[in-house]
Amino acid sequence: MSVVRWRSSGFRSLALSALLGVLAWPAAAGEGASAASDAAAFNAPPTAQDWLAISKLPDWSGIWTPDMRDQEAQETSNVPPWTPAIAKQMIQMAADEAAGKPFLIFAHCFPEAMPSWMLIMHNAFEVLFTPGRVTLLGEVDGNRMRRIYTDGRGHPADPDPSFHGHSVGHWEGDTLVVDTVAILPQAYLAISEAVGVPNDGGMHIVERIHLSGPNTLHDDLEITAPKVLTRTWKTTRIYYRHRAKKYDLVEGVCVQGDYVDGIDAHGHAIFVPNPGPAS
Amino acid sequence: MSGHRPALVLCAWLLAFAAVPAFAHHSFAAYDKTKIVNLKGTIKSFQWVNPHVQILVYVEPAGGGAPEIWSVETTSPGVLTRSGWTRNSLKPGDRVSVDISPLRDGSHGGGLDKVTLLDTGQVLTVTFASEDKPDTP
Repeated sequence: MSVVRWRSSGFRSLALSALLGVLAWPAAAGEGASAASDAAAFNAPPTAQDWLAISKLPDWSGIWTPDMRDQEAQETSNVPPWTPAIAKQMIQMAADEAAGKPFLIFAHCFPEAMPSWMLIMHNAFEVLFTPGRVTLLGEVDGNRMRRIYTDGRGHPADPDPSFHGHSVGHWEGDTLVVDTVAILPQAYLAISEAVGVPNDGGMHIVERIHLSGPNTLHDDLEITAPKVLTRTWKTTRIYYRHRAKKYDLVEGVCVQGDYVDGIDAHGHAIFVPNPGPAS
Repeated sequence: MSGHRPALVLCAWLLAFAAVPAFAHHSFAAYDKTKIVNLKGTIKSFQWVNPHVQILVYVEPAGGGAPEIWSVETTSPGVLTRSGWTRNSLKPGDRVSVDISPLRDGSHGGGLDKVTLLDTGQVLTVTFASEDKPDTP
């Protein structure tokens, strides 16, 4: 039996995973855990059929940049259904910005998080398809990444909250449907860099991501945030494709901006705190 | 020296951009997008880093005296690369004319609109990809 035959058989791969699971956790097996449940605990190695399925997905290659003019237009044309208390805060934030005292929501190096990344980002991102997963990679803040599992799994029973939450997806034709939960309550629901509010917990986001033209990608978002919204808010965000190599993503480490080049006592190149313009 | 006096010019804001002092991580909301201030001076430093490139400029005050240091912020190295910049586009000592949207709090800083190298005439601007149409061969 060749290695190729093993790799080409999803069933055998699952069986191998199950076997490894039993070997790794004999105590669990001894307690009656089934081979099937063990198999579900492992990521099966991709098969040739898995890669073939990838080739049949719509082409989302290239670099995608947001339509920032549309982002700005929606600040007034598609206002989220804030609760009355939050609406007052948003009015005050807009007034503060107009008065020259904006509250700078992202004046830190945390990720913009979900859903603000998709709503108001200014930078490029790319989408990678691999068996069982769609991955969005951005730039600038060093941790701008979304993992969307498309292997049929559901959400964990008690997922750890994170900036981008836990996302599972499936394809409906050429549309990727993504369901995201477990977003940190501190993650902002922002409509601009000066107007937004922490979601405060319990947020649920459903996205339908699809090409609306040969080189235009739409993300139709339905955002349910019971602590700050009275009902589900719907918005579509637009991204344009670029293939020129000058658009290739570059590394972005946000905290690097807090430092400047320096030399330590041994002559090594190091980063030292940025003293600011007064130096 | 009147030629070095920052000239306040009201204009329509054509480019939205994410410009941030590197050590504060502001956002473009920190800048007054309805105004353009022109600075003439020399480059003190050019920090080509994420999340936002920072340019420090020596500007001679209108009333004379020691040069003031203005902090000019612009977007990320990635976006600037797409706009034709490199990490060597500006060097300490370069004589420049810089248009900025000033910080709303009135301190000596702002978000970059464009910079002109006075010795070569080269103009460097920021072009966000959203202004382009999809770019495919």
